[in-house]
Amino acid sequence: MSTLGAALPIRIRGIEKKYGPVTILQRLDLDVAAGEFLTLLGPSGSGKTTLLMILAGFVRPDAGSIKIGGDEIIAAPPHRRNIGMVFQNYALFPHMSVSQNIAFPLRQRRVPAADIVRRVTSALEMVRLNGYGERRINQLSGGQRQRVALARAMVFEPRIVLMDEPLSALDKGLREHMQLELRDLHRSLGMTTIYVTHDQREAITMSDRIAVMNGGAIEQIDRPEALYAHPRTHFVASFIGESSFIPVDIRDGVPWFRDAKLQTTARTSSSGRYLMSVRPEKVRLAAAGGDDGINILAGVMGDVIYQGDSFACSIDIGDGVKLTMRDYCREDTMARLPARGESIRVSIAASDAILVEAG
Amino acid sequence: MLSSQVNATVDGGLNQDTLRREARRETWKAFALLSPGMAVVCLAILVPIGWLFALSLFDEQGRPSFENYARLVEQRSYIQTFITTFQIAFTVTGVCIVLGYPLAYMLSQLPRRIAQIGLICVLLPFWTSVLVRTYAWLVLLQRRGLVNTWLTDLGIVSQPIAFINNFNGVVIGMTHILLPFLVLPLYASMRSIDKDCLRASLNLGASPIAAFWQVFLPLSIPGLVSGVVMVFVLSLGFYITPALMGGGRVVMWAMRIEQTASLYTNWGAASALGVVLLVTTLIILGLFQWRLGSRAAAAWNAR
Amino acid sequence: MTRSSLFAVVTAATMVAAPAFAQQSITVSSAGGAYQEAQRKALFTPTAKELGITIKEDTTTGINDVRLQVAGRAVKWDLAQLNGYECARGAKEGLFEPIDYKIVDTTGIDPRLVHPEWVAISYTSLVLIYNTKVYGENGPKTWADFWDVKKFPGRRALSHVFSPDMLSVAAMADGVQMDKVYPLDMDRALKSFAKIKNDVSAWWTSGAQATQLVKDGEVDMASIWNGRASALVADGAPVRFSYDQAVLMPGCIAIPKGAPNKALAMKALANFLKPELQADFSLLIANGPANQGAFSTGKIPPERAAQINSSPDNAKKQVLLDPTYWADNLVTATEKLNEIMQR
Repeated sequence: MSTLGAALPIRIRGIEKKYGPVTILQRLDLDVAAGEFLTLLGPSGSGKTTLLMILAGFVRPDAGSIKIGGDEIIAAPPHRRNIGMVFQNYALFPHMSVSQNIAFPLRQRRVPAADIVRRVTSALEMVRLNGYGERRINQLSGGQRQRVALARAMVFEPRIVLMDEPLSALDKGLREHMQLELRDLHRSLGMTTIYVTHDQREAITMSDRIAVMNGGAIEQIDRPEALYAHPRTHFVASFIGESSFIPVDIRDGVPWFRDAKLQTTARTSSSGRYLMSVRPEKVRLAAAGGDDGINILAGVMGDVIYQGDSFACSIDIGDGVKLTMRDYCREDTMARLPARGESIRVSIAASDAILVEAG
Repeated sequence: MLSSQVNATVDGGLNQDTLRREARRETWKAFALLSPGMAVVCLAILVPIGWLFALSLFDEQGRPSFENYARLVEQRSYIQTFITTFQIAFTVTGVCIVLGYPLAYMLSQLPRRIAQIGLICVLLPFWTSVLVRTYAWLVLLQRRGLVNTWLTDLGIVSQPIAFINNFNGVVIGMTHILLPFLVLPLYASMRSIDKDCLRASLNLGASPIAAFWQVFLPLSIPGLVSGVVMVFVLSLGFYITPALMGGGRVVMWAMRIEQTASLYTNWGAASALGVVLLVTTLIILGLFQWRLGSRAAAAWNAR
Repeated sequence: MTRSSLFAVVTAATMVAAPAFAQQSITVSSAGGAYQEAQRKALFTPTAKELGITIKEDTTTGINDVRLQVAGRAVKWDLAQLNGYECARGAKEGLFEPIDYKIVDTTGIDPRLVHPEWVAISYTSLVLIYNTKVYGENGPKTWADFWDVKKFPGRRALSHVFSPDMLSVAAMADGVQMDKVYPLDMDRALKSFAKIKNDVSAWWTSGAQATQLVKDGEVDMASIWNGRASALVADGAPVRFSYDQAVLMPGCIAIPKGAPNKALAMKALANFLKPELQADFSLLIANGPANQGAFSTGKIPPERAAQINSSPDNAKKQVLLDPTYWADNLVTATEKLNEIMQR
């Protein structure tokens, strides 16, 4: 089975939703390309699940338009939208067997019985559950239930698949395994997928693009590596990956931290208060005075936290500002590590210094 | 050397005996804690039932005999009463399902706070005595009661409808009293149905009607079964309501127990009727458990 | 009728002569309600005063209570008020002490109701009542009328499967002469009952229910206890009843076997049956006195006597329910009645 070629783009415009005085979504626009794997990432209350519910037709927005491949579906009832959905707790039917669950969408579409058997079998194969058809749902493990839910959401070859934190109920090892499986499934079937999660690692691992949501709006939408490298706001920088923030004053287009003049390749305005966002792995112990393109900051060594493959340490650079530095645990680096309380200097490349709005 | 001394006294691991003794002591403690409850169960349930059963095996002269049971089979009136009792119980249960299911469904779909107000309304009749409620029905439904007066005044019927002093009256009165027993467990089970299951069924292409029949209804069966069992079993033992609302034309088993208790000089006569009701009830409960219980249990376990 | 026994202690006059002695007491159980209240005022309190004892009260729902006490050898009642046929059954079962008729004077009491172990104390009548709005003044007057659904169409109520009064009435309806009703021709009475069965709209199980059926117009004619019938008339309900062809049902009193104070109970019983007390009793309630002597005490005015069911004139119009017949035939008759009822 393949939905390749049948995948459709989604065009979302001006979606608004309020519950009384509380605004959940504010005039939200979003385009998803055909066959794209797009993740809605954000903390709880950011509106990502509401947006998904609006797409599936379970929540009626106050205003807006949703077009799938050019067809307006904003007023269509859920059962006519032909969108597959995987729920957070799978929402499998406990009174039906695995096969009956997977056959459910086909039965609703009056697919001939012989075809149902064939397609259920191939769906079970797809999620590697051959021979589990007659099991009851309560006889399955969490990962197996997840696969049944996937098979059920895809067996009717929907144009769009929505996933609402589908892996959040699984333990860590299984979750990471399922991430890859989902990714592969998407690659082979190529359906347009909107995935909701609050786990930034999961989003980075799986997505073609990530839309970071905050307060009912999309703060930034981009490919994972671009989001990571160039967060535009404090929120995005702190939500995706780890960051240390150095408050800077910009005077005549040059950022200053206390009496140190800093360099950045990022575009700056002429003046104002900003935050300089620095990823921990980009902070290095400095040997000597700075070359051009390298910022050198003086600081005091703090606690070292050993994390197996890597270690992290916090460095106080004055004014209560702390930088986190992370490096791999190699014998030479570990051996040269300064002691706690020792005065040190750290370097940050100008290209790794990102300016975000303070806020 | 202490550890080796301890070791020497046991055949297995360290402190095995002590630990085993502790485990045994705990079992006894748990048993001791349970014993007051068990004594109550014994004294309040098992002993009287045993006594009831024993009494039923003695005739008026105090000799052991099956006379009390033979009478129930030989005299057609008892068989007829038995049939009537079941007819009433089945009808009341059926009416309770027809009225109670939509009611519970509506309550389960309302916001919790409003549903709670609705539930209080459902429970309201519980707080008045059965006798008062039954008389209230008489006032409403009798030939010159409110309902018949309205119906005749509005020209809907020319003759008053015989709501009471017959089978209908018993069913109306009993349904009113028993409806909460169906609605409460049903409501609880409907509330516990995963909303996402219903969303999923819609999402997968089921129309709202199909979603109801194929998903909601099967998932509400456990609550329905417990409600039905409760209503049915309680129906079998009803006394005051059928006596008043049936106008004596509908005789149920409990009414025969009362009559028999005062008619015969030995308690055995009435005891036998009690035993028959008890055994029948147990058989029905067993049947429900056997036919529906396993399916219901499977649906519950899945959550 | 509540079962929770009220031990209303009837105050007795303080005995000036023997203040140092603890007062002796007996316990009497009765039917409760207005009936027992009338007994308290007319019989118990004066007797307690006269004998210098305390009379404690309890309520009973019937012979089963006595059976239980005697069988359990835990008799707490010295006197038990019951229905006539219950006394007759109890006597057969040996539940009572013999009554000492040297102490208890039964002059004025119907000899058919004076037995070695029990004696009548009052009467209740089952009368025919009908709605004057439906039938005017010419309603059903006899049980034959009641049975005649062509001549008197309308809704009917009878008492529920209580065979003694039901079959007495059924026999009369079938044309049995009043003085030939007992010994009862059971088969004839049952056949007569079968004829009316399908035309009865409601069968009442309590006096209150009978009152409600008649008062609310649920039925147009009914059998009903005379006390309830009088109350309906007093209430101004459009109803009429008479003692013609009514069934006179005796209430009786007996001393349970093993009663703790039977000697004292015997004296109290003798007092209860005195014409003066009986007359007082009949002024308080619709249940007539067992002792005909009450009507010659001068306490009962003639117009009141005309209303009392056991007054000589009224008693003549009625059939006395024979307790001894029912002691022997109650079970058979009731089961046969059930059979027909549920057919």
